[in-house]
Amino acid sequence: MNAAIIFGLLLALMLTGMPISISLGLTVLTFLFTMTQVPLESVALKLFTGIENFEIMAIPFFILAGNFLTHGGVARRMILFATSMVGHWNGGLGLAGVLACALFAAVSGSSPATVVAIGSILLPAMVKAGFPTRFGAGIITTSGALGILIPPSIVMVMYAVATNTSVGALFMAGVVPGIVLATVLGSVTWYRARKFGYPRQARATWAERFKAFRDSIWGLLLIIIVMGGIYTGIFTPTEAAAMSAVYAFFVAVFVYRDMKLKDVPKVLLNSANMSAMLLYIITNAVMFSFIMTNENIPQTLADWMLSQGLGPVAFLLAVNVLLLAAGNFMEPSSIVLIFAPILFPVAMKLGINPVHFGIIMVVNMEVGMCHPPVGLNLYVASGVTKMGITELTIAVWPWLLSMLCFLLLVTYWPGLSIWFPRYLGMM
Amino acid sequence: MKILDHLEEWLITFLMGGATLITFAAVIHRYMSGLAIPGLQDWLLSLNFSWAQELCIIMFVWMAKFGAAYGVRTGIHVGVDVLINRLSDRNRFKVIVFGLLAGAAFTGIVATFGGRFIWDNGAHYALLHAFGMDPGDLPEGPTTPDLEWPTWLVYSAVPLGSSLMCFRFLQVTYHFIRSGELPHHDHGHVDGIEAKEMPVDVNVYDMDDNLHPHDIKHPMLGEDEDEGGKQ
Repeated sequence: MNAAIIFGLLLALMLTGMPISISLGLTVLTFLFTMTQVPLESVALKLFTGIENFEIMAIPFFILAGNFLTHGGVARRMILFATSMVGHWNGGLGLAGVLACALFAAVSGSSPATVVAIGSILLPAMVKAGFPTRFGAGIITTSGALGILIPPSIVMVMYAVATNTSVGALFMAGVVPGIVLATVLGSVTWYRARKFGYPRQARATWAERFKAFRDSIWGLLLIIIVMGGIYTGIFTPTEAAAMSAVYAFFVAVFVYRDMKLKDVPKVLLNSANMSAMLLYIITNAVMFSFIMTNENIPQTLADWMLSQGLGPVAFLLAVNVLLLAAGNFMEPSSIVLIFAPILFPVAMKLGINPVHFGIIMVVNMEVGMCHPPVGLNLYVASGVTKMGITELTIAVWPWLLSMLCFLLLVTYWPGLSIWFPRYLGMM
Repeated sequence: MKILDHLEEWLITFLMGGATLITFAAVIHRYMSGLAIPGLQDWLLSLNFSWAQELCIIMFVWMAKFGAAYGVRTGIHVGVDVLINRLSDRNRFKVIVFGLLAGAAFTGIVATFGGRFIWDNGAHYALLHAFGMDPGDLPEGPTTPDLEWPTWLVYSAVPLGSSLMCFRFLQVTYHFIRSGELPHHDHGHVDGIEAKEMPVDVNVYDMDDNLHPHDIKHPMLGEDEDEGGKQ
């Protein structure tokens, strides 16, 4: 009963279009004042201590690092490197786009940032080279989604915080699915480019490839710093994030010199703006899940589902449908923060691996980012290409369809996600 | 008012940069002091960076609270706006005003609660103590574990930030009722397919998507080709 009231209230408040953080907070307040015996003090304390968690602090650091990288010339050099490697195949620049997105995703934790970084440089070049705008936009919108699957990933940090899973293990678990998804998207690109006879680039010589590699080495090194640092235990994920922020600043301002020192405060302010918005959602989501746990809602739900004879297969299917539906209304961070605490206990009772479950959620979020009405990638791509949303929706479907197939693969093949972190001994 | 705006921006910029540098310094310190360089190692070992993590968290909590207020002013907070963006202008106007006032109400309540909480947990004592009055049996309040700062001072971010946020919500509401305009989503910063360089402060959460309500003054981007009237 209480559960129905809480969710009904939350849904009603959210549908009025007020910020998600505010609707979560108001739901908690209303519930506290009207129908519970939870001491107000313990909730007030959550208000203060909700985000006092060093792991959460990885989020602002990764956002800051991403913003430095987006404008610091790292993306441009990665595109050149990717083009020199795969540009001569069918789909040339398109394939290079997929590869560049994958590389950039390995240094940035956010999908829309990847779309901005790669798309704003690559799309004009593709149009100039004779590709239809639709083709390029479809590639960048969907490949940009790799940003949250290939570590580092802000959404994974959110999931880890919401469910007490290890950030390091989640990051490592994203590596193999990330590479597989990049391959899948690349294959679709290659196939379509061959079918429609899109232009290819001249084959680069090994000397040119080596030069492009050397130019982009500063960006590529960051992959080693973050992943290597976390794997070897030199850094915690949060420290790795802070290191990558400082490193990205250094590279952007002093090595590539694509950003001036006077731009730095603007980047800081902008990153603070984005991070504060996400942290504010987290604060209120923490209160919300505290209330839910206090009312035993996730446990009750889990018991009910089990009593219905729901097996892992049916449960995961239901989770996918639920998350894909939620992806029509909300952006990934809010979905993870609201749904993960509810679904996680059920998944645990059904014996699903927590890391595997996290990867399923992340891939679901990726799909949600690429289709209307709220797909962030789609809107960012629309901003970059000046294409309408309707046209973009048509443009992305071949890749989106292959992504849905990939989602099925990830959902029902746990080994794909958990083999690598197991192999590394991180779980 | 301009001063308050600048102060707010300056504060969160500083906190963001400061927290990054402190964490960076602490990590470097930890590894450098492991290196056996005579002289340097002793000096590094004499420095104590155990407070860095705590200070970083405190700075980010402050950044989050004041940044959230700044976010109201820049209109960055995401919501579920798919439905209300389908409403007619008149109805959308009402719903948006309701949403903004709800935001003001929530932050106002939180500010009051937060204020009372820190008052009972040391602020009252500190105030009386500072003026040389006898605090009686008022609690002195706890302190933070590493820095040993009084927690009420650290936690005052909540009432201060929430009050500012409440004020911002009211400000935005007032402006919206007067002009029909919500905080600006600057479409101008993405200059189409020819622009190669994005401005440094392009904001991916600030596109004209369905995560934010559309105001009355501007037509919607993205779906406007059917309805005519591109900006």
